[in-house]
Amino acid sequence: MSNVKNAACVGAALVILSVLVPAGAPAQEYRNSTEHFEALKREAKGGTKISWDKLPDWTGVWTRAPGIGLKFDPAQASLQQTTAQLAPEFVRKHKEKLERVAKGIEWDPISNCIPPGYPRWLTEPFLREFALRPEQTLLINEMVNDIRRIYTDGRGHTPEDEAYPLWNGDSIGFWDGDSLVIHTTQLMGGQYQRSQPDYTDRVETVERWRKVGDNAIEAEVTIYDPPALVKPWRVVQRYSRVTTPGIRIRSWVCEENANNEVFQTKEGATQHVLPGPGAGPIMRNKADK
Amino acid sequence: MTRQSIVSIAVAAGALACLGMPASAHHSGAMFEPEKTITLKGVVKEFEYTNPHSWLWITVTNDDQTTTDWGFEAEGPSSLFRNGIKKGDLRPGDKVTVTGRPMRDGRPAAAWVNAVKEDGRVLQPRAAPVTTAPVTAAQPATAPAAQPGRN
Repeated sequence: MSNVKNAACVGAALVILSVLVPAGAPAQEYRNSTEHFEALKREAKGGTKISWDKLPDWTGVWTRAPGIGLKFDPAQASLQQTTAQLAPEFVRKHKEKLERVAKGIEWDPISNCIPPGYPRWLTEPFLREFALRPEQTLLINEMVNDIRRIYTDGRGHTPEDEAYPLWNGDSIGFWDGDSLVIHTTQLMGGQYQRSQPDYTDRVETVERWRKVGDNAIEAEVTIYDPPALVKPWRVVQRYSRVTTPGIRIRSWVCEENANNEVFQTKEGATQHVLPGPGAGPIMRNKADK
Repeated sequence: MTRQSIVSIAVAAGALACLGMPASAHHSGAMFEPEKTITLKGVVKEFEYTNPHSWLWITVTNDDQTTTDWGFEAEGPSSLFRNGIKKGDLRPGDKVTVTGRPMRDGRPAAAWVNAVKEDGRVLQPRAAPVTTAPVTAAQPATAPAAQPGRN
């Protein structure tokens, strides 16, 4: 019964998927993320030289704005309906993924506690904190203690002979008034989120982060991934101030409870090991158990 | 699973019907039944307030007087805290009635939907927490309006 209903939902989503217009496009088209970032930097006349007393106030605890769930683009109508303009191979892959999910066959690569990686990092629904310094900004996600470092001291990207793929890539940026502009390269391939399309290891982004009002921080993100996207994908992510009294961000150890250990079945689905109460931490080396 | 210990099994309708399960921290929720719920009375054995998921373990007495430990999975500590559930709210020995979406394979575990304590307090780990501030200054031109519901 549930499979029939899910299949109907996915079917409807796929029809819409085929005719979707993207959420938006940059005012100006650029050939790649580097050209985009450099153009923004020229427009900002090299960026605002910022001192400690001029840094904007992003203090507090934040989380993804309510109601978005796991949708990568908050503007998309449902989890299944991406606003990305995908290349044909990636349309097919996404369709197949949704069909598998509708049958209850789903496996998330982070199930074994690897980090989500960026740009998926933007969507994880947990607590966030932003630490601003003149020469560097730390964008902190509570989940698996995941930190993006954005260098704003004028340095360039890691030289090519020193570069290698990174979960959160290599990020440099500059301040444009009270906006932080970021260029990120050297990423790994992954998926934007569960039930969302995949991206390749050629994915690169340009972001513009700014505070909008007292209680929201917005990140306008343009994604370049030539193998997977037929044109850059522009989305606007939004984070809201968390007001729960006493809330704190604490260390997040993914392996601390073996009841959270899962494995992938022969069919490709997710299944619990479930040793029971008092299981203790996950022991990867079973021979030691 | 026995007649005596299972208070009810119901088919859940509504918003979860298409999506199946609430968003889950680090793994798919596809191992749980998306539409069925199960409600059990038991005694708290252990409340594992852990990342990326928490587990509430209760001991349920079966018809034949044997016991079964049932596990109810929820999100991690910060999500529980935002929903008003603290580590000290469920202590070993507490009597509780718990509702969840059971595992498809029949093992004694479920995705935790709510728990009712003996004093009537309801603990809903996946309720939509109203714990983000409204935007009070200029609205951004580019951002979508915030929607109600769980993130």
